[in-house]
Amino acid sequence: MAYESLDLSASSAAEDDSALVLAACAGDRSAFGGLYQRYARMVHGILLARVPSSDVDDLVQDVFLRALPRLASLRDTSRFGAWLSAIARNMANDYFRKNKPESAVTDSLSEEDAPEPPARPTQHVSDSEAAMILAMVRTLPETYRETLILRLVEGMTGPEIAARTGLKPGSVRVNLHRGMQQLREKLKQAGSRAPVAADGEQP
Amino acid sequence: MTKRFMPKDRTMKDDYLWDRSGEPDPEIAKLENALGRFAHRGEAPDFSRIEIADPLSFWQRIAALRWTYAFAASAAAALLVAAVLLVRWSEKADVTNRVGWNIEDVAGAPRIGSVVIAQNTTQSKLGIGQTLITDNQSRATLIVADVGTVSVEPNSRLRLLAKSAGHNRLELERGTINAFIWAAPGEFAVDTPSAIAVDLGCRYTLQVDDSGAGLLRTTLGWVGFKLNNREAFIPAGAVCATRPKIGPGTPYFEDAPAPFCEALSKFDFSGGTPEQRNAELDRILSDARERDAFTLWHLLSRVDDANRGRVYDRLTALVPPPTGVTRDGILRLDQPMLDLWWNQLGLGDVSLWRTWERAWQPNKS
Repeated sequence: MAYESLDLSASSAAEDDSALVLAACAGDRSAFGGLYQRYARMVHGILLARVPSSDVDDLVQDVFLRALPRLASLRDTSRFGAWLSAIARNMANDYFRKNKPESAVTDSLSEEDAPEPPARPTQHVSDSEAAMILAMVRTLPETYRETLILRLVEGMTGPEIAARTGLKPGSVRVNLHRGMQQLREKLKQAGSRAPVAADGEQP
Repeated sequence: MTKRFMPKDRTMKDDYLWDRSGEPDPEIAKLENALGRFAHRGEAPDFSRIEIADPLSFWQRIAALRWTYAFAASAAAALLVAAVLLVRWSEKADVTNRVGWNIEDVAGAPRIGSVVIAQNTTQSKLGIGQTLITDNQSRATLIVADVGTVSVEPNSRLRLLAKSAGHNRLELERGTINAFIWAAPGEFAVDTPSAIAVDLGCRYTLQVDDSGAGLLRTTLGWVGFKLNNREAFIPAGAVCATRPKIGPGTPYFEDAPAPFCEALSKFDFSGGTPEQRNAELDRILSDARERDAFTLWHLLSRVDDANRGRVYDRLTALVPPPTGVTRDGILRLDQPMLDLWWNQLGLGDVSLWRTWERAWQPNKS
């Protein structure tokens, strides 16, 4: 069965999730692979909002490996996304409990620690610029940064974030709106500190 | 670099941010372009080759044991003792099992009712109907993931009145709380002895003294404050005092001139003769800056009929009324016109408040 080809629209997502969860519970590992295909971006985003990016990929797999033997304990199979989100957040907490403080903040840059932006911006955003923006997003309150990362990094839409994480669409929309407002403020402050020209301007 | 991501037009194109519909917001598109490189690209593991320990296998092995009568009797006795201990423990630990707000960042010895919260406790919870009490050495933080955080300062008493989807309500009997709320506007409210504070998307500090008088200071977004028909909207940078049986006073920006603030306080709460109140109103109107227009907007419904025209004229000089708002309408306190004028101040859309206030009438739990 080609699980990856199932309808991914929000309306049918919960129904399809239930089918995949039930199949995975019955021992169908390819069904679990289908759940991975659907939720890996969400898990990746939740983790990226909390732990150093160098460790996120490994942790994504760990989240699914932690979930697999516990699938049978999931009573409402349509809530798989919310359940998996909770596991991901717990894994991020565990990461900090198990790791030394210095490794926990490897790339959790504060705005002051972020690399200086280049003097001559180009149309293409360099890796260091992108890292700085990500660092700024990660200084936002947890709820905002998680939702913004799912939207701006993982490319999920607001309705998709709500359907996947189990949050109310209204909450997601508010988080996106407020998070974006705060990010704009931070970008504005950083822009006023840095000797950088605006779009189309020559320094 | 960062200026390239600053909006030239600060209007939020929320549709594109929400679901990528409508005209793409160039700023968000640039952020997507910059941050998309960090997206998940890992290959799915081959789960069919991964050995997963079955958590049930231990119990299956236990079940497979040959039970002897002696072993069964011992096990039954052990279970009985465990059950008794469990019941006694659950009575003590009731606070951790109830629906409520999680308590974190405990300092000192705050209490839930008479039970002291241990600092090393990770799962304390304030249940519905319970009161969190801090002495002069203690503090704690309440957290609900989809709602926000409320830090409770020393010498405070805070009760949880309601917690359900879209409806969280606390009662600050005394003390100070700092609330940072990310739930949708109108889903979080705090009762005080002299007014109810309704979050409209904000961060604020609320204080209540032993007499029941209160002070609300907004640092982000805005807050609605209400007692009976007396209401106040407090935007970021503004404060508003309340008094029992009177309700919210007139809010003002904290950077307003001191004589202006003093005159407001006397006008709101000191009573006085009509002459004294007229003198205070004179001071308020003459000292009001353009930024204080929102204070004068509140005064429209707080002055008597004879003085409303004076407030209207001064407010008109500071922020002209929008189309559809007439002097006659304002003098008779026409609510839609008042709301239109409020929206003209650019401090928030009052329809948010009108939508939600019906659900937050005082004494509604």
